[in-house]
Amino acid sequence: MTPNRNTTIVLALLALVYASLAFSFVLVPARPGFIKRAPLVAQDTLDFAPGTIRVSASQLIHGGGDASGLDCYACHHQESPPVITYDADHQIVLPKEHTDLIISMRNCAECHPPDDPVKLDYDAAGVVVVPKGHEGLLRMAHGRNNACFNCHDREQLNQLHTPEGVKLTFEQATLLCASCHGTTYRDWQAGAHGRTGGHWLRFAGPFDRQECTSCHDPHAPRFTGLIPLPGPHLLHPLPKGVANPPPPTTD
Amino acid sequence: MLSAGVAAVAAGLAPLRKLGEVGSVDEFLQKYYKELTPEEMKKVLARIEDEVQRQYGVRPHVRDYKPMNGVEFVYTLNLTRCVGCRKCVYACVAENNQSRNPEIQYIRVLKLPNDGTFDMDKADHNYQPKSVPEAGFFYMPVQCHQCKNPPCVKVCPVKATWQEDDGITVVDYNWCIGCRYCEAACPYFARRFNFTTPSIPQDQINTNMSYLGNRPRYKGVMEKCHFCTQRTRAGLYPACVEACPTGSRQFGNILDPKSSVSYILKHKRVYVLKAELGTLPRFFYYFDV
Repeated sequence: MTPNRNTTIVLALLALVYASLAFSFVLVPARPGFIKRAPLVAQDTLDFAPGTIRVSASQLIHGGGDASGLDCYACHHQESPPVITYDADHQIVLPKEHTDLIISMRNCAECHPPDDPVKLDYDAAGVVVVPKGHEGLLRMAHGRNNACFNCHDREQLNQLHTPEGVKLTFEQATLLCASCHGTTYRDWQAGAHGRTGGHWLRFAGPFDRQECTSCHDPHAPRFTGLIPLPGPHLLHPLPKGVANPPPPTTD
Repeated sequence: MLSAGVAAVAAGLAPLRKLGEVGSVDEFLQKYYKELTPEEMKKVLARIEDEVQRQYGVRPHVRDYKPMNGVEFVYTLNLTRCVGCRKCVYACVAENNQSRNPEIQYIRVLKLPNDGTFDMDKADHNYQPKSVPEAGFFYMPVQCHQCKNPPCVKVCPVKATWQEDDGITVVDYNWCIGCRYCEAACPYFARRFNFTTPSIPQDQINTNMSYLGNRPRYKGVMEKCHFCTQRTRAGLYPACVEACPTGSRQFGNILDPKSSVSYILKHKRVYVLKAELGTLPRFFYYFDV
């Protein structure tokens, strides 16, 4: 049986169409720049440095905060101050080893060594008189617990005590916190509260555990705000006020 | 006449030379992940190391981490503590060699009004205030929930994604055909597609790589959060847990009754996202009461 003349024509046409399709596939290269490349989001390794949330030098400086109150001399010697370098934006360039360093703005021991305890003055009502030049040095924001001697010893400020009268050192501050925040302490003991790092498989290696005061300032335990890292972009709606990137060019 | 024809064919085929993204014959002939013998796997890993070195100029160490016996991973997230700083997002991007441009991120942080409605329609992921947390809102990071009943695995036509014994749903980037069915099936928007070859700056490549985890992906394949297999199967915490400054994120082995996640599941009122779908996530949210 000879094939129909029309069938032959249709088959030939179809073959031609497919051949041209295959040929054009090879001829037309993939369009470069079809997906618009957006400028890179500035990624700072400090953004996910394993430091704690308590005001660290890097956070403060890179967040545009006032670094003048930072106490460099808690470690550095007054006579041989550290060499400070500045970048193009007149920001202090922090050495790598300082990335996770927490620099306290309230290091009493800098001026008051433990062997020379502070003598406190009281007014008629029995409230501590803040010495001149010390105003604003200490921010008290611990809710109802706003009296010094709820936690500090009346005679020796570097000695702590619980409401029950158990004497504790600064290193045992977590136990002092636990005397009021029992439920949080229970969570912390079980590993459910506080920053976690290291090994979940305990016998495989060390496990990072933070004490209360590594993250919380005992005088103002509530965290101050953080600067959020940039949100998602490119293939998704942009925040209000941000212009859309130009549509992709189809050379 | 004949030579002119040959020249025309050669000219027509010339653009093929630019198709450098087409893989090698070895890659094309690679067997299914579960059928690879240890010797074959060794060759595959060496080939991938070569590929990465050619593409990014850095020699990585690619390993094939297997699940541990008696381990099932569970993730918990305390929404009372989360401040929405997005540090987890960028720690994840850095650890897992995600494409920086175009941007691929596994974690999406939602800002929800703290009005008791829990209405997802009110969620915003583009928030960019000067400081977080904002009053009247809470933040809910969403990533792969590593479901026990994963819809994404069911729809894969080539079995390029499956659930491992430790509960992690993984993707074989060499087996994925890029049909994106899994992306459509996932109710949590956990899967991402590589529309183009990922671009990662050379100095930001994480050279500790795993086959089913953070090795650089190809153009046209799916990827997703894999609980940092290269870290967690070596006993470490995932990058997002390490980065969380508030300790909202906890991770561990649910089969270990002494682990922190066991404690949280026992003592906190945890919930899962979209429980009505029956996906049985291994990712639990809770509020401190």
